[in-house]
Amino acid sequence: MSDNSAAKIRTGTWYEPDASLKRRYAADKRLRMYGVAAIVFALGMLTILVGTIASTALPALTQTHVTLQVELPAEAIDRSAPRSAGYQKMLADTISQLYPEVDTPRELRQLRQLFTNNAQYMLRDMVVADPSLIGQTIDFTFPMSDIGDQLHKGGIDRNLPPDQRRVNDEQIGWYDRLVEQDRITTPLNTGMIFNADSRFPELAGLSGALVGSFYALLICFLVSFPVGISAAVYLEEFAPKNRWTDLIEVNINNLAAVPSIVFGLLGLAVFLNFFGMPRSAPIVGGLVLSLMTLPTIIIATRAALKAVPPSIREAAIGVGASKMQTVGHHVLPLAMPGILTGTIIGLAQALGETAPLLLIGMNAFITAAPDSMFNPSTALPTQIYIWADSPERGFTSRTSAAIVVLLGFLVCMNAIAIYMRKRFERKW
Amino acid sequence: METTGTSGMVMTKTVEDMDVLAETASRAGAHDVKVAANKVSVFYGEKQALFDVSIDIPARQVMAFIGPSGCGKSTFLRCINRMNDTIDICRVTGRIEIDGANVYDAKIDPVLLRARVGMVFQKPNPFPKSIYDNIAYGPRIHGKAKAGSEMDAIVEKSLRRAGLWNEVKDRLREPGTGLSGGQQQRLCIARAIAVNPDIILMDEPCSALDPIATAKVEELIDELRERYTIVIVTHSMQQAARVSQRAAFFHLGYLVEEGETERMFTNPSDQRTQDYITGRFG
Repeated sequence: MSDNSAAKIRTGTWYEPDASLKRRYAADKRLRMYGVAAIVFALGMLTILVGTIASTALPALTQTHVTLQVELPAEAIDRSAPRSAGYQKMLADTISQLYPEVDTPRELRQLRQLFTNNAQYMLRDMVVADPSLIGQTIDFTFPMSDIGDQLHKGGIDRNLPPDQRRVNDEQIGWYDRLVEQDRITTPLNTGMIFNADSRFPELAGLSGALVGSFYALLICFLVSFPVGISAAVYLEEFAPKNRWTDLIEVNINNLAAVPSIVFGLLGLAVFLNFFGMPRSAPIVGGLVLSLMTLPTIIIATRAALKAVPPSIREAAIGVGASKMQTVGHHVLPLAMPGILTGTIIGLAQALGETAPLLLIGMNAFITAAPDSMFNPSTALPTQIYIWADSPERGFTSRTSAAIVVLLGFLVCMNAIAIYMRKRFERKW
Repeated sequence: METTGTSGMVMTKTVEDMDVLAETASRAGAHDVKVAANKVSVFYGEKQALFDVSIDIPARQVMAFIGPSGCGKSTFLRCINRMNDTIDICRVTGRIEIDGANVYDAKIDPVLLRARVGMVFQKPNPFPKSIYDNIAYGPRIHGKAKAGSEMDAIVEKSLRRAGLWNEVKDRLREPGTGLSGGQQQRLCIARAIAVNPDIILMDEPCSALDPIATAKVEELIDELRERYTIVIVTHSMQQAARVSQRAAFFHLGYLVEEGETERMFTNPSDQRTQDYITGRFG
């Protein structure tokens, strides 16, 4: 008997898959493929996004520094007032000694452009911090300027005609001489975290934005967490179910969908104009962000409260717990993991929110970290916004680096959320 | 006895009331009346779930409420400790007196009421806390004992009375949710006992348990009868016969018949009771 005839004999038995069954399986398979394709697409986009940001940010990991031997003549520095000595001249003398052939003012200016503008203040701070340096010749290491940095990192194409690049041939020659003399180093760019903002990319850092964001989030948490939980507990556990509470519920849900810039306008009108709170201050930013975060926390808390099984409430009420005790001792602790997750998601959203902060002036150019939450400051997303808008080449990589920092914080916050949730789950 | 038609129902009820009076008189002195319900009606919004239920529940006996699903027996049970208060649309009329005081009186605080009237639910519902904390919670919130040896004593006494002590004494710090279903239900009984109630209400306490666990809980109910007045709602006729001294049959929101369990199962006075007991409907 051939295979063919065997197949014919089996035709019509109950276990023989017919065409419609095959079509069903094909449809199943197709549907699964769509799902896999969608995930691959999403993951691919994510990889491209993260890859682009990371590769753009990579140059900002280091900052090109130059080391010069600077003479600090004892007669030029008054030991009782080392602040007021002529450090600019000392630096200029040092540079002139390195490049004796440069003498026209124009060339001198172009030469100085290779080094950061603030080198003289760094030298001054060094001497003020350690007066024993006076009278010595010291190795002074300080950042190159943006164009020096770009020359070193290959951000400037030397093959372009001079009128199409930002440095001329002389500047390239001067820079190459520094490399020959082994004066160039590229240490880790710690200034990126510890410096405040600056017009010069080589000096710009995130400390102001980090402190500002920290204060704003702190305010946001302190306001929205207790208020959100109280509102949710009242609405879910105590409020009578009538038209008014329905109206409130609908409004809270709608509030979550209000564009964030509207909250910014509200903050501008209410907190700044009406209450006269300080402009650009993290306290106002935090209050505006807490308005935005409130609906998220209320909705998450209500969902978490709803998820607590009614049998637990009955058990507590059955042994004579009051309504408040039932909620406080049993329902709320059981709902806490869900509440914390919702809160941290809300805070993460607030951390990345830009539009409302722009409206209350947290995109100001501020070159020092705020001392308190009442001082002007920027926040991480607004700092990214400012840097992305800056023309200097060095800000390109720094913008991406700031995005990496922001993403890092978001990842950390989510990790904390997961950790806390696990901890609570184990306890209960 | 006339039992068909609506007029028959009213008539039966009157006869039935007289029966109750007669029976109450016959056992006078043997048992005090612990809970006396008088014309209790319950409404869920517009819908009436319970119609003029009047019943006396004697002290230190087991009273079983039987009847088909939706007959109002659980609803009535939950009136006794005002658990129905938690349902917004629920409204109760009539009087339920415990030791002479109406529990629906404005002076009565439901929190204190529930400390005197414990409750055990259909599904075991221990708190997701340690076995110890499950028992200690009630006494703690009522301020009945200080933490420490005093509380330890209450926990031990309650667990002993619930017949659970020997099984859990070495793992009091472990979560109560880790026990088996039957143990969880006995833990819930111990939790109810811990606040030292007079009355324990049980709403189908064995419906989620296997036969062995059920036997243990029934045995426990029999022991508890010495100290507590127990009202148990059950779907199982056999269970009612095994554990209760008195039984009440509910049907469609009416209390049809009430009396000594033995008498009711052998010689019911109402046709509907007989139909239900013999399994003709249910």
